[in-house]
Amino acid sequence: MGAVLELCGLTRRFGNLTALDDLTFSVPSGQVVGFLGPNGAGKTTTMRAVFGLLDLDEGEVRWNGSTVSQRQRRRFGYMPEERGLYPSMLVGEQVEYLGRLHGLGASDAAAATKYWLERLGIADRAAGRVDALSHGNQQRVQLAAALVHGPELIILDEPLAGLDPTGIDDIGAVLTEQARSGCGVLFSSHQLDQVEDLCETVTIIDHGRLVVTGSVDDLALGGSSRLVVRVEGDREAAWARNLPGVTVSEIAAGAARLVLADSIDSQEVLRAAQRAGVVTEFRFERRRLSEVFREALS
Amino acid sequence: MKIVPFVVLVVALLLVRILRHRRARGAPVATAARGPSAARQYFEATFGDVGLIAARELRERTRGRIYRIGTVLILAVVAAAIVIPTLNKNASTSHRVGVVGSLAPSVRAAVNTAGSDFHVTVRLVAEAGLASAKEALRTGQIDLVLVDGKQIILKQAITASDTSTVTEFARSLSARLATLATIAAARLSPAQAATLAHPFVVPITGLTAATTKGAARGTSVLGLILLFVLLSQYSAWILIGVAEEKSSRVVEVLLATVRAIHLLAGKVIGIGAAALAQASVIVIFALVLAKAVGSDILQGTAPLELASSLLWLVLGYAFYCWVYAAAGSLAERQDQLQSLSFPLSIPMLVGYVVSLATAGSGNTSLFFDVLAYFPPTAPFAMPVLVGLGKATWWEFLLAAALSVASTVAVARFAAGIYRRAILRTGRRVKLREVLRATS
Repeated sequence: MGAVLELCGLTRRFGNLTALDDLTFSVPSGQVVGFLGPNGAGKTTTMRAVFGLLDLDEGEVRWNGSTVSQRQRRRFGYMPEERGLYPSMLVGEQVEYLGRLHGLGASDAAAATKYWLERLGIADRAAGRVDALSHGNQQRVQLAAALVHGPELIILDEPLAGLDPTGIDDIGAVLTEQARSGCGVLFSSHQLDQVEDLCETVTIIDHGRLVVTGSVDDLALGGSSRLVVRVEGDREAAWARNLPGVTVSEIAAGAARLVLADSIDSQEVLRAAQRAGVVTEFRFERRRLSEVFREALS
Repeated sequence: MKIVPFVVLVVALLLVRILRHRRARGAPVATAARGPSAARQYFEATFGDVGLIAARELRERTRGRIYRIGTVLILAVVAAAIVIPTLNKNASTSHRVGVVGSLAPSVRAAVNTAGSDFHVTVRLVAEAGLASAKEALRTGQIDLVLVDGKQIILKQAITASDTSTVTEFARSLSARLATLATIAAARLSPAQAATLAHPFVVPITGLTAATTKGAARGTSVLGLILLFVLLSQYSAWILIGVAEEKSSRVVEVLLATVRAIHLLAGKVIGIGAAALAQASVIVIFALVLAKAVGSDILQGTAPLELASSLLWLVLGYAFYCWVYAAAGSLAERQDQLQSLSFPLSIPMLVGYVVSLATAGSGNTSLFFDVLAYFPPTAPFAMPVLVGLGKATWWEFLLAAALSVASTVAVARFAAGIYRRAILRTGRRVKLREVLRATS
């Protein structure tokens, strides 16, 4: 089993505001973990706490079973929300420099810089200044800086913000690839569709507290069963309105989205639909992550 | 001809700059392919994280256009301060003397001797008569008229306060001609006449040494101006450098890897190395140029004073860099830097102005002596005391020790402020908040 990042009872107060409130969850190696929450929920504060950028009032960050040290943090990669690069420094030198600060030797840092700039499609900008790059390319440089030293854990704050679909695909592919190679990946985002596509696990927090955590599949399949049923000649799903334990949540293009109470058998619903007319569509539907998110925070 | 070495030096500097520029344009990529410089390797190997950070600072500073143009400008000013006085000193003035009537060999010799006394080249112009000579004098064709070796006519009558070269030349010539006339009237033998023509020189001495003047004082003022300009510049580099790291948020990436004190120390050492390199180039340039053009600006106590200024530049930088780094960490935006740095620049300004006045007058006071031991003003005041010969070696060492001790205390305090303020973003951090903060 690979190394695990454990956040154990993290608590941090700023005056009267409790930014983190006994927050506990973990990031296993080999997984992409989505870190979700509304604005001000405490995501950035949590990430800063992992890197020792702020002092905790209570709790601790553990790596591989023991309190994380400065030396171990060097093996982590970090991409903060507010991108941090020297604007006037050359791209190649900047990535190489950050690699050196993470403990790479001069030749290893140079080779890793070359690899990552090529991998992220910005090798031709190596000799250019950072502030001459587009937003998307600066984002790529920032990712290269987080990955150049071959980290065991990567923490990224809003890595997909402001990217075009190609950029999202590129960065998503790199994160997935890193997880497959055994690295733990924790990233925050408000783009829930992308999180659902990329992550095996999500953790949702609010007001500094853990709301829900689990695998995307479990969360999508958890809760009440959802059915999509289309009955020919009944575009308003009148047949379902009076069924006990069944709620019509939405009518879209003649198909009814139904939420079933736990006691209701889906076969009984099917029979009721067949009595109303010819059933042309009948399928179970997973919960979208956005629904999980809204339900968790409601 | 003494200007030649200076011209050669400037041309050499320009060539080096052009070659380096071309080489830089010719290299397509980075870094990965280029090996680190010896200075960089030394820093990295010696100081670890601090060395890496210092090496980056050194490289970025010395590569910057501001650094290079600034160095060239300072060198140009220093060159002007050294070369221009020598041009004035060596410039030989030429006087045209209109001769009316006879010109005895003894009179001709007296004219030439009077000219050489004032570094004046004398050209004798034969005039047809007194009227034409006066006309030539009026129109500026000649500078004075000598009539039969017995009368001197100038364009305008002279006063006691008139010290122009032509007036001094005329006075000297008048005295020499009077001596010749007196000797002739006394009907002395040739031997007696020769003795009178070359009188003994009576030496003039003083009870105390002469006040420092001229060259040494000139160096003192030049050194002070350089100290102030360089110290202000290097402090500004620290201030802007820290604020830039904070405003670009790169500091968050850096502090996720290195300790705040290491980041700050690397910055201070790197910028300090760039500063010391620039200051050394300026001092070496000044010494070489002064020797090449025969300037007396570095004679007497001046080399010692120059070395003292360089040492105090280092001590002054060590003292102020921490304070300016702390100020930079409080800023949220670049436009807040001026108001943050202004209070810090006041002691520097006071030390500079008072020292400049003292170097000019040569007279010290108890207040000035205190400034020479007060760490914020000592970098300006102590070199002036050294230049005036009014500081003993133990006084110098005492002031330096006080400066080092206070630098250690200031560095600890400033590093605490830096650590607490550097990650607080969103608005300018107030010093009061940082001092109250527990983390």
